[in-house]
Amino acid sequence: MMVSVELFSRCQPIAGLSPRTQRCIAEKATLIEYAQGNNLYVQGDPPSALYLLQSGHVKLHRQSRDRCQILALLAPGDCLGAESLPTGAMSPYTATALTPVSAVTLPPDILQSLLDEHPDFQEAFLRLITERLKQFVSLVHDLAFRDVTSRLAMVLVARAEVEGTVHDEGILVDRLLSQQEYGEMVGTVREVVYRSFKRFEDRGLVRLTRDSILIRDLEALRAIALLEAR
Amino acid sequence: MPVNPEELREIPAFRDLPVGQVQSVAALMVRRHFAPGQIIFVEGEKSGSLWFVFEGHVRIIKESSNGRLQGLCLMTRGKCFGGCPLFDLDNNPATAQALDSAILFVLPGGAVEHLRQHNPDLVKALLHIYSQRLGHLARVSEVLGSWSVSERINDCLLTYARHPARQQSVVELTHEKLAALSGTVREVVTRHLNLLERQGIIRIESGHIVILNADALLPPCAWERQQSAV
Repeated sequence: MMVSVELFSRCQPIAGLSPRTQRCIAEKATLIEYAQGNNLYVQGDPPSALYLLQSGHVKLHRQSRDRCQILALLAPGDCLGAESLPTGAMSPYTATALTPVSAVTLPPDILQSLLDEHPDFQEAFLRLITERLKQFVSLVHDLAFRDVTSRLAMVLVARAEVEGTVHDEGILVDRLLSQQEYGEMVGTVREVVYRSFKRFEDRGLVRLTRDSILIRDLEALRAIALLEAR
Repeated sequence: MPVNPEELREIPAFRDLPVGQVQSVAALMVRRHFAPGQIIFVEGEKSGSLWFVFEGHVRIIKESSNGRLQGLCLMTRGKCFGGCPLFDLDNNPATAQALDSAILFVLPGGAVEHLRQHNPDLVKALLHIYSQRLGHLARVSEVLGSWSVSERINDCLLTYARHPARQQSVVELTHEKLAALSGTVREVVTRHLNLLERQGIIRIESGHIVILNADALLPPCAWERQQSAV
């Protein structure tokens, strides 16, 4: 499907490029849709395309045998892919659609020519990688110094801030992940996530329904999220 | 003391740059010496410089509010660190500390900014460096999130071994540094190393650890390494 420049407006690093570079990207990009559960790219594959997420959610994760660590949850406006293009190395993680997804896509050969011909695109690409780097450094900090309850609170706070909608009793977010996947996000097993959610519910901080999570006390969750383990 | 262009060519990021560009980068660089244990920069400081290890070892660490340390990586000859604040006007996300007597080449923030605007090849070199960092941090996150402490210590032994392809590789890290890199405390490392020694997998000698059976230390994602080695 053809792409118009307007689709870049939600992706800040690309929206900040010169009109000429944006037009050049739009001419070469395509809009692709992915069904829920499909992979956009897989850990260990050659460098992939650059994806500008238009709708839906994607998880970045690493898999070792039966274990999985979710590294990031991406929402519309986020960019992903092509992390390994500059080195030619294999992709360091897998990107999987958590919901139906549509993304503006630039394949590696087009990306390479954009990097060669448009210095402002080089800068934008560098910013995208730097942003992801900062995100991973922060994840390492959380995994090393915070306990599971704090990390789960942090995930809920981040989701509420980015995509929560105001509700009579607090802030509502889609459930999006199973309890197993929340475990993969905070580095623990499903049973521990279940117990942590139960504690949050008992204290009146959240209420879980089948499809959503109602965050009733964002400030209390924020305080838990900032606690560091002794 | 100035940096010799021939020395700079020994750094992988500059190996493929034209001679004239290497000379212009070298002219902007400063050579700095650091004593063992000396802090190079601190997490949270504003500093846009790029640092290249010419001799010695540097560790990049995160520190919790109550003083616990988590190693992100160990920088050896030719590796580059720093530079994150350049691209998002933020602060250093981690601390850098010399582990032994180290000689570093520094490209000050102002010089990097100048080169970025006039030398697209440097931006490509930076993309290469940042892309490698991203892959490394994704793996560190997985290791911290989903591996056991024993697997993390084993992985550190393999990652930081000299001559990893040979049967009897040597690891020159103290128990304390191994603990910081694997996200645990020194006592746990000592207990685990003693167990490995009793099993004939390693031999603990004064100042270093000899790996006798590297296969026995392979982590859950060994398949990934074996695939990449093919």
